[in-house]
Amino acid sequence: MSLPVLAPVAGRGLPLARVPDPAFSAALVGPGAAIDPARDGLATAVSPVDGTVVKLYPHAYVVRTPAGAGVLVHLGIDTVQLAGDGFELLVSENATVVAGDPIVEWDPVLVEKGGRSSICPVVALDAVASELSSITEAGPIATGDVLFRWEHRPDG
Amino acid sequence: MSNAEQILAALGGADNIVEIEPCITRLRAEVDDPSLVNEAGLKAAGAHGVVKAGTAVQVVVGPEADTIASDIEDLM
Repeated sequence: MSLPVLAPVAGRGLPLARVPDPAFSAALVGPGAAIDPARDGLATAVSPVDGTVVKLYPHAYVVRTPAGAGVLVHLGIDTVQLAGDGFELLVSENATVVAGDPIVEWDPVLVEKGGRSSICPVVALDAVASELSSITEAGPIATGDVLFRWEHRPDG
Repeated sequence: MSNAEQILAALGGADNIVEIEPCITRLRAEVDDPSLVNEAGLKAAGAHGVVKAGTAVQVVVGPEADTIASDIEDLM
């Protein structure tokens, strides 16, 4: 059964190739999709899947399912340079979460005021493109809607 | 050679690195001389890809970037 990967933020779906960062647009990290987030003030980014928050930065996180499927959510581009300014963590690293649980509070408008793109890539780590389907690459998407489905094949 | 040692060597060695820091899936390095960066060597060390822009080199290594960056800092 394929894994539904939920939109961590609300906005509009975009192809990953449209992300203004070559590491994401060339899918060097993995395939996925991106969301151009809604500009409605403070927004809550949620977990895209059930699992463990294995990596947690103020501006990005990875949630890994018990079967080992890791999904990366990156809030804006080059936002590592903000060193956490404007991002509030709502969980701790290694927390167990279910899809839709709040992870980070942030404001896409603040990111843009700093001259950076607020686009959010959502990446299926170590996946190949053919494992993804039903990808929302256009049109509005609400937090918690299915962004794409991942036919994850656990190693071994 | 460890991953960190291989990556450090392919970035031109400790003397070539001005700064290195991890983002969630990549190492962001500022180097003195970008011509000393060996992309094939970085890929052989397990990098998924390399993005170069002037003296800024990003090595896409996946979510273990923080561990690799601290291993590299230990070697420098």
